[in-house]
Amino acid sequence: MTKPKRTHPLGLFLHMAHAIKDYWYLLILLISLYNQPVWFILGWVLVIGAILVWPIVRWVTLSYRVTPEAVEINSGVLVRHHEHIPYARIQTVQRKQWFFLAPFKLEEVTIETASHDDNKPEARLAAVPTSLAGEIDRYRQGAPAPTEVAPAVGEETTNTFATEEPASTGQATAHYRINNRTLFKFAVTSTGFIPLLLILLALYNKIPRSWTDTLINDATHLALIILVIGALVVVLIAWVGAFLWTYLRYYHFDVTLQGDQLKTAKGFFQRNTITAPLRRIQAIRIKQNIFRQWLHIQTVQVLLASKAASDDDDDDLVILPAVPQAQLYDVAPNFLGWLPNHMPDLGALNVADRHKWYLVRNALLVAIIPVAIATWLWPHWWWLFALVLILAYFQGLFAARQTGGQLLTPTMLALQTGHVWTKETYYVPADMIQSMRLERSVWMRRKQLMHLVVNVRHGNKNQSIELRYLQAKQAQRIYDWYVRTV
Amino acid sequence: MSTENHHLPQRIKLIWRISALGSLVVFGAVTGLIWLAYSYWDWPFWLVVVFGALTIIEFIVEVALVPYRYRFTRYQISETAVEMQSGMIFKKRVAIPIARVQNVTLNAGPLLQGQKLTKVSVATASTNHGIEGLELNEAEALRDQIMQLAREARHDQA
Repeated sequence: MTKPKRTHPLGLFLHMAHAIKDYWYLLILLISLYNQPVWFILGWVLVIGAILVWPIVRWVTLSYRVTPEAVEINSGVLVRHHEHIPYARIQTVQRKQWFFLAPFKLEEVTIETASHDDNKPEARLAAVPTSLAGEIDRYRQGAPAPTEVAPAVGEETTNTFATEEPASTGQATAHYRINNRTLFKFAVTSTGFIPLLLILLALYNKIPRSWTDTLINDATHLALIILVIGALVVVLIAWVGAFLWTYLRYYHFDVTLQGDQLKTAKGFFQRNTITAPLRRIQAIRIKQNIFRQWLHIQTVQVLLASKAASDDDDDDLVILPAVPQAQLYDVAPNFLGWLPNHMPDLGALNVADRHKWYLVRNALLVAIIPVAIATWLWPHWWWLFALVLILAYFQGLFAARQTGGQLLTPTMLALQTGHVWTKETYYVPADMIQSMRLERSVWMRRKQLMHLVVNVRHGNKNQSIELRYLQAKQAQRIYDWYVRTV
Repeated sequence: MSTENHHLPQRIKLIWRISALGSLVVFGAVTGLIWLAYSYWDWPFWLVVVFGALTIIEFIVEVALVPYRYRFTRYQISETAVEMQSGMIFKKRVAIPIARVQNVTLNAGPLLQGQKLTKVSVATASTNHGIEGLELNEAEALRDQIMQLAREARHDQA
């Protein structure tokens, strides 16, 4: 390929879809302005500019070229950008294929490097032939011979897991596919319904008063029942929505280890494939929200030093979305060698029973001011606000119970926190801890307590893992270990 | 392991006092603007009073705390790590291994320059930690020492 090429015209539609996704609120704004003609017209001009003209211009000006040395991207309308990405600098390659692009053998390719610049990926090519990513992969591994790297497809109904002989560099050394039952459990327990619920509630407020009033007038005696049923329906819709969203996104989740590259693929309507190098992993996180705790499934994620998987949960690359708790330490270490092969004891750091109250108190303190204000403004909703306080109480208790940690090996630290009803277990090698902090207030000094904060790089930012109200001796021991080891 | 516990230079207290004065001026200006709003747009008078009181209290507290702030701010450098400590009511102690240091930046505003002092900030791949003021030559020596140790640490790893 010697001449820079434009992406496929279908990419234009993807650009537009992106624009609509980014500026949908403009459309909403527009609808609410229908009775102010001047603003209405101005709004239309803006919207057309944002979702029609701008993407066309962007598409026309974007071109790319793959040479044996680097990927080159030309873009920009007024200011021309010429991006030159040598293969050695590439961190992650992400491929997204919408189902309607599959017949055309097209997909979206996003290339990312470790540069600190900003949170945008270095290159996003909206619709390019599927062969391109393979070509880039080959150049990256320095192997000019085209070897087929089709992932071994496992059976769909069982958790298939195979450890094969590494025949060549391109061959998979470990492979795992989620089974349908686990995925179902995973989707059912998605907490995504909470934001959806809030959106639905907001929409409910937008329903014209006259409708609800007539409804209530017609059935005053049924008002309470209607209200309760209505609330249940809203919750159900939100929950089903979240279920479908998660289920379709993680459909046929596949993870493969190829040499030192981890490759995950997932999605029904949009197949999303991410390739990331193992050596960029900063920490491993095992996550479990409270519902998943009841169903005994856990999620394994890795924190990367690049902003690869921004569409995943919390921007982290999900390695195993849902693994039955009992299997986790059998399956995960095959991909992530850092992990121990059994559930470690995390008792070396903990919040003593008599100190759990502090976490409860803090959770209550955070909740009490908004609750007080809300109760003052809407007194008849007091029961709802009381519920918030009860939730805060148990959240504090949950956090205290989950707090844990242990030095697994002389260079590997395990930490566990209970944050927003989610248990998170981190595995961090000493080499990846950027800095460590101890905090204590005057009052904590008397009680022999300390907070321990561990800083790890996460994307282009910092992630601090905070264990609060530990016994001072325990926290100090970890701190001393850190200062000694590095 | 030679670990010395260093205090910041004495003159940093003067800088802190002057910066307290600076915030007095800024808050005073805000109060002045509110007073103007009161006299021209009939904003309530209590706003002026509250802001005026806050301005004065903030200044007094900031100045009064300077000696304590000085006493509780320390730093320490060993072969392997830089440690910094600060805060009296909420005491913090942070350890930055020299092998993790990406760069050391010295910067000084006009006030610090006047006193031949400089701020030192030590950056890792994800965090940033600062020492509020050091003697210029001390800071440069510190930077060179950290960068020297960092180079060696990297060398060891490779």
